[in-house]
Amino acid sequence: MSRILVQQLAVTYPIFNRARSSLDTQTAALDPGEDFGGIQRLVRDKHGYIKGVRALEDVSFEVNEGERIGLVGANGSGKTTLLQVLAGIYPPDNGCVLVDGRTTSLVNINLGMRSEATGNQNITLRGLASGRTRAEIEERRSEIAAFAGLGEFIDLPVETYSAGMRMRLNFAIATAFEPDILILDEWLSAGDAKFRKLASERMATFVGQAGILVLASHSQSLLLSNCTRGLWLHDGRIRMDAPMNEVLSAYEESGHKLSLTRQ
Amino acid sequence: MVELWRTFAWDEIKQRYRRSVLGVSWIVVSFLMFVAGVSFFFSGFSGRELDSFIVYVALGYAAFIFITGNFIDGCQVFTSSHVWIKAMPLPYSVHVYRSLFRSFLIFALQMAVVVPIMMWMGWRPSFLSLLAVPALLVYVLNAVAVQYMLGLVSARFEDVGHLVTSITRLLIFVTPILWVREGLDGTRAFAADLNPLTHYVEIFRSPLLGEMPRTTSWLVVCILTLAVWGAATGFAAAFRRRLPYWL
Repeated sequence: MSRILVQQLAVTYPIFNRARSSLDTQTAALDPGEDFGGIQRLVRDKHGYIKGVRALEDVSFEVNEGERIGLVGANGSGKTTLLQVLAGIYPPDNGCVLVDGRTTSLVNINLGMRSEATGNQNITLRGLASGRTRAEIEERRSEIAAFAGLGEFIDLPVETYSAGMRMRLNFAIATAFEPDILILDEWLSAGDAKFRKLASERMATFVGQAGILVLASHSQSLLLSNCTRGLWLHDGRIRMDAPMNEVLSAYEESGHKLSLTRQ
Repeated sequence: MVELWRTFAWDEIKQRYRRSVLGVSWIVVSFLMFVAGVSFFFSGFSGRELDSFIVYVALGYAAFIFITGNFIDGCQVFTSSHVWIKAMPLPYSVHVYRSLFRSFLIFALQMAVVVPIMMWMGWRPSFLSLLAVPALLVYVLNAVAVQYMLGLVSARFEDVGHLVTSITRLLIFVTPILWVREGLDGTRAFAADLNPLTHYVEIFRSPLLGEMPRTTSWLVVCILTLAVWGAATGFAAAFRRRLPYWL
């Protein structure tokens, strides 16, 4: 049984270098940073110093087994933060987050890998870190290597990989151990067409096994082919929660552009 | 989980020496260089025979780097693992165990070289030597708490790391490693006793040298261990949830 329950979630990132906005606080409202909702989202102390950024506020939703959620929203709307909270990396400041099921998240492809270690060593480390035994890891090793398609690069340090190769390896490891809940950030759309096709197929079989998928993306085709339900985040709040195609058309109507990458 | 931090630690040691010819044996080589150099230059001041002074320095120094290494590693235990902390929801203690296991491996490697040398110089283990075992357990117990606490604090306040490094550098001179406390007169012996590390080193080194560690030393160590655990538990309860935001 996998399930996600989020209630009144709020997250504020602290800022410690005592930055003071270069914009005059009186006139800043006339000159807001494009779409970042600057003035309402920066938390200031009484001297006007910025001490935090409110990333999420009053976010509530529930996801049940087999649902595939597509997250949309402009840059800085809180998508990545929400994914990281669901992945259990950031504890919420406020509200509650209940996640039932084994979760795997791929939010930043540079994280969760030792760049000095080889691809093979990273398979071991990540496998152990997700609570698998050595035997289970050895069983999947060749399958992971084949999916990542790295050939002999699998025995070279990850720092020698291109961004695309890192992404393939990361995705291969993350999905190989059949998580109940898979959390993916938008970088997936950076892959080439062949990889996106492979990844989509893999996600389809995974969701067929009644897992939950949460995918943040700006790519219309990726969202439409993988997700059933859409969540639209705007300035750290949920603006819309509806079937994927409805959310996408409302999102485009409001003037946002989605990329139309072909599969 | 045990498997996880063991693999992490072993991997880290291998990576650190990956591009050197001598590799992991650098740990032993640099340790032996220090012991040989110090024994040669300082033995005249100690009032001990050269042979017994070498053993004294080797044991004391191994204990010392294990203890102070935990201060320095502790300051980086979470900042250096941010790649994992921000990628996977593992218990934060895994990173502490990883770091501790690595410094313990280094310590074990040094002991594995020192003991045969000591045997060759005529040292023999006795029943009293067994008292070094509880001392090691106490070291590990302290190290877990110290690393967790320093890791949390220095993730938030970077200055703590610099402060700890500066203090540690001084500690080698004020702890009886290069010199012998027993030879000192009243005030200086007392001053040496004010340094907690004197007692921590003594509970491990004395039994191996065939001397009974002072009850005072064990008492000081036990009280400090409780204090450190109390403080670390408090810190962890209050600030653990903030850690990913600080990194």
